Amino acid sequence: MKYHSKFRKFASLTGAFLAICPSLMAQQTDFLRSTGKIYSVVAVIAIVFIGIAFFLYRLDYKLTKLENQIKNEQ
Amino acid sequence: MSERINIKGMWWKGLGVVLFLYVIVGGMMIPLKPGILSIQPGNAVNGDTVKLEVTGYNTHFLSGGDLRTWLKLDSSHFIQAFQIQATGETMCKATFAIPSSMASYTGVQPLTLILDNEVDGYSIQPNAIFLAINDSLSTGEGWDSSIDEPLHAMGQIRFPYRNILHETIRNTFFHIALWFAMFLLLLAGLWHAVMYLRQGLPQQDIQSAAYHKVAILFGLLGIATGSVWAKFTWNTFWTTDVKLNMTAVAMLIYLAYLILRNTIADEDKRARVSAGYSIFAFIALIPLVFVIPRLTDSLHPGNGGNPALGGEDLDNTLRLFFYPSILALTLLGNWMATLLIRYEKIREKMFYHS
Amino acid sequence: MQFTNIQSILQKELAIEFRQKFAVGGVFLFSATVVFLLYKTFNNISPREWVLLLWIIMLFTGLQAVVKSFLQEKQETWMYYYSLFDATSLLVAKLLYNLLFLIIVFLFTVLCLAIFSGFPVRDITLFSVGSGMGLLGLSVIFTFVSVMAASERASSILMSVLSLPLTLPVLLLLIKVTTVSTGLLADTAVYDDVVLLAGINSILLGSTFLLFPYVWRS
Repeated sequence: MKYHSKFRKFASLTGAFLAICPSLMAQQTDFLRSTGKIYSVVAVIAIVFIGIAFFLYRLDYKLTKLENQIKNEQ
Repeated sequence: MSERINIKGMWWKGLGVVLFLYVIVGGMMIPLKPGILSIQPGNAVNGDTVKLEVTGYNTHFLSGGDLRTWLKLDSSHFIQAFQIQATGETMCKATFAIPSSMASYTGVQPLTLILDNEVDGYSIQPNAIFLAINDSLSTGEGWDSSIDEPLHAMGQIRFPYRNILHETIRNTFFHIALWFAMFLLLLAGLWHAVMYLRQGLPQQDIQSAAYHKVAILFGLLGIATGSVWAKFTWNTFWTTDVKLNMTAVAMLIYLAYLILRNTIADEDKRARVSAGYSIFAFIALIPLVFVIPRLTDSLHPGNGGNPALGGEDLDNTLRLFFYPSILALTLLGNWMATLLIRYEKIREKMFYHS
Repeated sequence: MQFTNIQSILQKELAIEFRQKFAVGGVFLFSATVVFLLYKTFNNISPREWVLLLWIIMLFTGLQAVVKSFLQEKQETWMYYYSLFDATSLLVAKLLYNLLFLIIVFLFTVLCLAIFSGFPVRDITLFSVGSGMGLLGLSVIFTFVSVMAASERASSILMSVLSLPLTLPVLLLLIKVTTVSTGLLADTAVYDDVVLLAGINSILLGSTFLLFPYVWRS
C-alpha cells in the first residue's frame, strides 16, 4: 500500500515534468545555448544522474517486493 | 545491534564516488582556454583595408597587456594589423591593410586569424575571413614571411577551446566515458557468459545478466546524452551519422537479449540460451561498432581521416579527467551490477526455500 | 562430423519439403504477392526500391522458412537426433538446407521482380557475389537463432525478435553492395564491403559452430 502511493507520487511528478517539458524546451533552447552552451553539459550530467536514480528506483521496487514476500512467509 | 556491518568492497565503491566527484567538480570548474567566438565581416577583397570586429571568449583584451593580431595566408605569408583597439574584455577592432599582390593564389582563399596577448596566450581561428582575389600581382609584396615577435603561451591548466563545441567539450567526460564504461561492463558480462558455458554454475548466469543489464542502461544513457549533445552542436537530436545508428542497432540487439531472458521460463535453458545469445550478439557487434563506421564518413572523431582519440582531439588536460571518468563510471556500474547480483541471489535462495 | 549423416538429414528435410508442398508454396506465393502489390502501387519501381524490396522479401521469407525447418521438429525428434548424430553434422545439414532454400527463394524473387519491374543490375558479378555472401550470413543467423528459439512457447515471435536486430548489420552492408551493383551509387571501394561481409560471415559461422553444442543440449 505504502509503496503504491509512493509510486503514484513518482508517476504524477514525472507526468507533470513531461507536461512542462516541451514549453520549457521552447523557451530555453536559447538559454541552453548561452554562455558557451554550458547548460547542455548540465543537461547531460542530469541525464546520467536520472538514469542511475531510475536504476535505484527499480532495485528498491524489487527489494520491497522481496521483503513483503519474506514478511508474508513468517 | 552490536554487530559491525561492513559494506562489501568499500574501498572501490568509495574510489568510484570520489573519482566521479572529482570529474564533475574539476570538469565543470576548469575554464576553457580563451578563443575567438566570431569575426565580422566574413569576407574581403585583396587590396582592401578591412576593419574586423573580433568577439572573443574568456579573453582579456583590455587587461591582458599588449594585444597583437595577424592574418595568415600560409606558413610564409602573414600581415599584422596596423591598428588594434580593444573596446571591451571580449571585443576588439583590428584594421588590416590587405596587400593587392597575392603570390600565386587565385580564386577565393581562406585566411587564418591569430590573436595574441600576454595573459591569454595566442588563439587561432582558421577560415576567419574569405578573401576574394581580383587581378593580383604574383610578387607577394606586402606580406611578412613570418611572425617576428614570439607568441605568448597560456600557462594555466585550461580545457581546449573548439569552435562549435565551446563548453560542451566537457561532455567528453560524461558522454564518451559512458560508452567506454558500457563497453567494459559488456566485456564483464561476456566473460561471465563464457564462464557459464564452460562451468555451468547458476551464479555465473546471474552475474552475466546483471552486467549486461547495467551495460544496457549505460548504453541507453549514452544514446540520450549523445542526442542532447548533438542538439547543441549539430543542431539535431538524431543524425544519419553511422556511429550513432550502429549503436542504435547494438542497443536493439541487447534489448532483444532482455526479451529473451523474460520469455524462457526454464532456468537452466534460459541461462544457457542467453549466454549463447550474448556471446553471439557480441561477436556480431564487433564488425559493426568498429569496422563499419570507418567505411563511411562520420561526424565523430576517428572517421574520415580524423584522428581517433589522441592528437588534438584529446589533449592532456582533457585526459586528466577523461580516464578517471571512465574508471569512475566503470566502478559505479560494477557497484550497480553487484547490487543486482546480490538481489538475484537472495531471490533465488528464497525461491528454493519455499 | 560425417558426410553420410549430413546427407541423410538433408535428404530427409528435402523429402519433407516436397511432401508439404503447401508450406513451400506459401513462401513463394508470399514473395510473388508482395512483388505484384508493390508493382501495382509504385507502377515504376526505381533501382533503390527494387533493391530494398528484394531484401525485405528475402528477410521475411527466409525467417518464415527457417522457423518452419527448425520448429516443426517435435521434442522427441530432437531426442532422436541427439542419440543419432553429433551436433556439428546436424548444424551443417540444417545450415546447408537453409542456405539452399534461401537461394531458391532468392532466385524466384529476383525472377518475379525482373518480370514485373525489370532488372536494374549492371554489375552481375558484384551482385551475385554480394548476394551469395549476404544469403550465407542470413542463413547462419537464422539457423543459430532458431536453435535457441526451438522448443519454446511462442517461439516464432521469439525467433523474429532475436534474429531481426542481428540481421541488421548484414542487411545494411548487403543493401549497400547491391545498390552499388545497380550502378545507382558509385563506390570504388565496394569490394572492401564484400570482404567485410565475408569477414562477418566467417566470424558468425565460427561462433555458431562453437556455441551450437552448448545451446542445443536441451
